[in-house]
Amino acid sequence: MKIIIRLLKIIAVIIFLAGLIVLPHYLKFHYQDLLIFLTVNVLVVASYRIVTLTGEWSLIHAVMMGVGAYTAALLFKNFNLAIWFTLPLAGGMAGLIAALLSFPLFRMTQFYFLIGSFAAGEAIRLTWMQFIVPFGGSGGLSGIEPPMIGSIDFMDPIPYYYLALGVVSACLFILYRIEKSRIGLTLHAVHWKAPLAQSVGVDTWRYRALAFIIGSFFVGIAGALKIHYLGTITPNQFGIGFMVFILIWVIVGGYNTIFGPVIGVVVLTIFDESVRGFGELRPAIYGGVLIISILFLPLGLESIYTKFLTLCGIGGNSSDGPPP
Amino acid sequence: MSILEVRKLTKQFGGLTALADISFQVKEGEIHGLIGPNGAGKSTLFKNIAGFYTPTKGEIIYQGKKIAGKPPHVIAKMGIVRTFQETTLFQEMTVFENVLVGCFAKSRINLFSSILGLDKQLQKIAREKVLEVLEFIGLSNRKNQLASELPLGSQRALAISIALASEPKLMLMDEPFAGMNMEETKHMMDLTRKVQESGITIVLVEHDMKAVMGLCHFLTVLNFGHLLAEGTPEEIRHNEQVIEAYLGGAK
Amino acid sequence: MELILQSIINGLIQGGFFALFAVGLVLIFGVMGVVNFAHGELVMVGAYTVWLLHAQNGIPFIPVILIAIILVTVIGLLMERFLFRPTCNDPLAGLICSIGILFILQVLATVVGGDGPSKQVPPPYQGTLILFDFLRVPYQRVFSFFVSAAGLGTLWYFLTRTKLGWALRAVALDREASALQGININRISMIAIGVGGALAGLAGALMAPLTNINPHMGHNVIITAFIVTIVGGVGSLSGAVIAAVIYALFHTFITVYFGGVIATICGLLLMVVVLIIKPTGIMGVRVSE
Ligand SMILES: Nc1ncnc2c1ncn2[C@@H]1O[C@H](COP(=O)(O)OP(=O)(O)O)[C@@H](O)[C@H]1O
Ligand SMILES: [Mg+2]
Repeated sequence: MKIIIRLLKIIAVIIFLAGLIVLPHYLKFHYQDLLIFLTVNVLVVASYRIVTLTGEWSLIHAVMMGVGAYTAALLFKNFNLAIWFTLPLAGGMAGLIAALLSFPLFRMTQFYFLIGSFAAGEAIRLTWMQFIVPFGGSGGLSGIEPPMIGSIDFMDPIPYYYLALGVVSACLFILYRIEKSRIGLTLHAVHWKAPLAQSVGVDTWRYRALAFIIGSFFVGIAGALKIHYLGTITPNQFGIGFMVFILIWVIVGGYNTIFGPVIGVVVLTIFDESVRGFGELRPAIYGGVLIISILFLPLGLESIYTKFLTLCGIGGNSSDGPPP
Repeated sequence: MSILEVRKLTKQFGGLTALADISFQVKEGEIHGLIGPNGAGKSTLFKNIAGFYTPTKGEIIYQGKKIAGKPPHVIAKMGIVRTFQETTLFQEMTVFENVLVGCFAKSRINLFSSILGLDKQLQKIAREKVLEVLEFIGLSNRKNQLASELPLGSQRALAISIALASEPKLMLMDEPFAGMNMEETKHMMDLTRKVQESGITIVLVEHDMKAVMGLCHFLTVLNFGHLLAEGTPEEIRHNEQVIEAYLGGAK
Repeated sequence: MELILQSIINGLIQGGFFALFAVGLVLIFGVMGVVNFAHGELVMVGAYTVWLLHAQNGIPFIPVILIAIILVTVIGLLMERFLFRPTCNDPLAGLICSIGILFILQVLATVVGGDGPSKQVPPPYQGTLILFDFLRVPYQRVFSFFVSAAGLGTLWYFLTRTKLGWALRAVALDREASALQGININRISMIAIGVGGALAGLAGALMAPLTNINPHMGHNVIITAFIVTIVGGVGSLSGAVIAAVIYALFHTFITVYFGGVIATICGLLLMVVVLIIKPTGIMGVRVSE
């Protein structure tokens, strides 16, 4: 029984990966575009999850994506650096800013952290708006080009999609490894019972900061990926509006496992497309979905899957030992 | 010979003085009892020693070093571990993972070796250590259960396992027997003695007088934040002040 | 000198608005533990009511203010009953629900007012009060200032002189202890959000003739309310009022000399500094552990 399930799982993963690779060839241009943004957004939510792993809900994640995006844009425009350099540097810059911010921010917890992170993010974003040099003010910057390698033009959606898919998969793998490592275990511990973790010697401040820096690093990369494809950057792309979308994706998907947020972003992006016809009403529909999912599915879409597994009598944490 | 010395410790919350000028010593290797009525300041004293509170005045000296005001994780790394009055566990993790957190708590963060999986050796040692601790405490058969699913007695035992995994020299146990039935209490007493015999000094806050008198080598009595008396269980049992303030009322 | 005096007057009037919506946010957070992200949108609804009923349909200003207050209060009560009460065990869920409401209200505003440029409401009170030769305050601002002061005064009377107000403050201080003493938490929550909503509606109505009205005006409102709340001390009503005035003066002066965006950046930095130095705000009390 166990072996069959395992085999089925492996087959499912292979089919899934093959699907991801052939998918863009069957889509219209508009959907190819969308697929690239979706791929980037998967990295955005997955990196956000590592921040929330310690139990702190930050409102600066969108701005950190912007830090990465602006870094990539400026490096490209001023030094003509290729994407292979801008991607890691964008992540590095976001990580660095996060490291600096963690000194003031992680003196706070919960509500104060939420508001503090919001304030710090808004201050950064308003700085981009205020200074035309070098950030381009509220009009932003444009003319950021995707790379050209040999005869492959990454301006084309399909090659760029493969590039994004490769980068995002690599990042997701690293994030997954971190979560499964002893660092991930300790992050969970800090989340559930910070005082207990402290009492046996865990430096909770350090772990919170570490999660924040890692999350910012990867969302910085996501920002750079997005901006190289989009070609233009403005401060408003990374405002509270986008932050709210990140929250919605994570919460509707569920955040107990790394799969929840990913499910959330995929499902909601498809949903978003299907209500495109509603035009200006779309945000309201989104708001409604958000409220309904909080009220009726507080553990997110992923909980449906977990429930399904328990119904079938497989999986679940408690099946190994006898009930008390 | 004393592993811990508290010198003229005072802790105030706003206008309220929870601890006033407390001084006492804990001898290495002993089980030291700390008793007193509710609100006497016992938990507050523990929190000061373990770094969760900063004392208003006074010194705490552990193995010759001043530790008052240091953050909890630093004090924990020096070897003082506190268990909580309320049963405090990582409820959503398995028993094994709970103890594993205790094992990893003191090890350095190394992001790259974690990602690349270069810390296999460390992982292996930690896992062996967890099994060893669970065997010692007697929780081996429950290692894959969720902490929240354990009965009360096992939950308390798990709390002690987490503490043990971080290899303490001094354990501060806050009311480990509260809410337990006779059998569970007896099991827990055996466990406490076993921990002490393995070379760990214990400071024990407890209301169960039978347990305290049976376990402790020395007792300190607090009352309304003041030091009321100290001595061997035999001396305390016959101390007039203590009987009046505490024992008399309890019996 | 004249500029300074003029800025002080403008800052004080601004402070009145800030206090009206910040106090509501503090009240809701204090009693229910929910950060109401849609608070700025409640103010926006108040402003839209004035635009729609007064500017578009000619209903007199004063009754329209009352209608705005009632409308926003009702929205608040609905939010309490159907969103915050079912999710009261999870403060994050309340916050997320309020974000949902934020979207819905913004879209409603777009539907009602169209997507075009920001709307203006011609001031119902024309003319200018000339205090000295150099100090002129339009009557509309004078009116707004006194009405917001009256609103805050009423609130102060309610909170300190009535039994219900006393219960409200008790719940804000310690929810569990109050419940044990037999205070009906649900009722107090409704009153808190009702009062918060009424103040937000009043603020929106008063601001309508003095500002640009658009579906996204709530954004600046909520940023301001956060800054004021943090600087004043979370859960401290008097702190919020004092901080509102201080911040309004601070903001007005920096705007005069450096522009609005810099002023907001400075405000946000001020807030971060307060969070670092004294996370409980200028009037806050320290809660241990
Ligand atoms: N964080 C705190 N803030 C204010 N007062 C406190 C705090 N912690 C404890 N106290 C007060 O200190 C006194 C001692 O409490 P505690 O140490 O818990 O007593 P015990 O553990 O001996 O029952 C009590 O009066 C309690 O109300
Ligand atoms: Mg106690």
